[in-house]
Amino acid sequence: MGIKILTVDDSRTIRLIVGRAFKSFDCEVMEAANGVEGLAVASRERPDVIILDVTMPVMDGTEMLSRLKSTADLKAIPVIMLTAEAGRENVLRIARMGVRDYLVKPFKEDQIVERVSRIVELKNRGGVTAKSKKRFDDPLKIVLVDDKTAIWDQFKAGVSDTPWQIDGLAQAQAALENIGQKVPDLVIVSTSLPDGAGFWLFQKLRSSVKTEKLPIFALSVKTALDDQARAQQVGFTGIITKPIDFTDLKLKISRVLGLDASYKYYEQKSGALVVNYPAAYNQSIANDMAAHLQEKVTEAVDAGLDKLVVDLTQLKSVDMPLIEQVLNVMKYAAELSLKSGVIGSDEVRQACTNFEETKEWLLASSLDDILKLM
Amino acid sequence: MIKDMEEMLKSAANEVFATMLNMSVTFEPPDQQLQDSQTHVAGAVGFTGKFNGVIYLYSNLDFARKMTCSMLGLTDDQIEGNEMINDVVGELTNMHAGHLKSRLSDRGHSCVITIPAVVCGRDFRIEPVSGAERYAVCVRANNTNFVLLEMLVKPE
Repeated sequence: MGIKILTVDDSRTIRLIVGRAFKSFDCEVMEAANGVEGLAVASRERPDVIILDVTMPVMDGTEMLSRLKSTADLKAIPVIMLTAEAGRENVLRIARMGVRDYLVKPFKEDQIVERVSRIVELKNRGGVTAKSKKRFDDPLKIVLVDDKTAIWDQFKAGVSDTPWQIDGLAQAQAALENIGQKVPDLVIVSTSLPDGAGFWLFQKLRSSVKTEKLPIFALSVKTALDDQARAQQVGFTGIITKPIDFTDLKLKISRVLGLDASYKYYEQKSGALVVNYPAAYNQSIANDMAAHLQEKVTEAVDAGLDKLVVDLTQLKSVDMPLIEQVLNVMKYAAELSLKSGVIGSDEVRQACTNFEETKEWLLASSLDDILKLM
Repeated sequence: MIKDMEEMLKSAANEVFATMLNMSVTFEPPDQQLQDSQTHVAGAVGFTGKFNGVIYLYSNLDFARKMTCSMLGLTDDQIEGNEMINDVVGELTNMHAGHLKSRLSDRGHSCVITIPAVVCGRDFRIEPVSGAERYAVCVRANNTNFVLLEMLVKPE
């Protein structure tokens, strides 16, 4: 049986972020919008962990916590306090209230997962613990249900740089039988199958214990807004629109299945942490890279490294948003006393000299050369 | 006048935008204006105690939608109405307020913050009442869109 997590927050945004953070784990996230609702859900459901906001209307987090602690059969439930206030006074006050841990907003999803995994053992949907996540380059089985074989070929070509296996099936009934025999890692269902068969298949899969938590994406034409709204409403895990952006699709799959893709961007090499900017660099990749930055820089420091090299050799040009991303990486490295340098082609290095913000950068064409300069 | 208030606003924006929205920010003087013809969304959180004031974060609706997508990992067509956008803007304002409250409390200006309120509409402006101190910065995210971050403070 999965872990039960109760998030008590008046902000739906925070509740959605908490829910999303645990989506790939075998746990049930319950919600309450204030302390009164929170106490009612806690009494009824006996969650394993409560993530509790401080400032809420009706009953705030402090009062809910005090009532929890004075109720014999609820007082043992561990509470992680979420607060928007990081001041010394506030942190001391929270610590004195008997909470297990606290987290200051703003926070990243992996921080809340890490805090909860200190208290309970989180397992992903495949039964693997949170600490041994699947990698992006591990084999995956994906069932694609679409009556157009050209789409199967498009998917196979689009993920050909991964060991992922795409099994194309044209009919919903055949797909149901196939999935029932061996549950894949992910299912993608076209919403345009005849007679609403895609939605029928989704409902069938969700009503089976074996597949009730299986990630299922809807595949829809970009302009078919009604289909997308219906898919959203019935609870598909995500929506993929045609024409398909495979870079984005792979990131979505990676996020939903909790795949570790950080090795593509961060590598410890020749005594330095090398941050690789891929040729297909875009905002989604920037977000993915940023999500792992703190963890990877901390690991590098733990491993005794004292240099960070930003590798732009796969890029043909640089622009201001990219420069700002690199500056963020360097700023974080500097906070942990890592020296930074940048490698790139002649054109990229020349472009880097055109920005006021980059004039102090150490630049070279190769890793060996930059390490000598550092 | 509160020393370094504008620096505190910038520090809050840096942290909140980088952590919650994966956006890097730069700062400009607060002379950027939202166009009256556009729909605006403004989040507000009050401070009361040894320090009294209100912080506002406001942007046009288009950028509020982008922030919502970024914060919740959605595409634009997955946004479920204005309630979701308002909630995100309110929460972002709350996070800025929490950051400022911490800094103010550490300097002896202990205070509490209110729950956020959000106003959405066209052709309105946030203006200080007479006597209030005004601190403002224009926060440009990823070198494109901007929000105005404004703090109105009741003098001690």
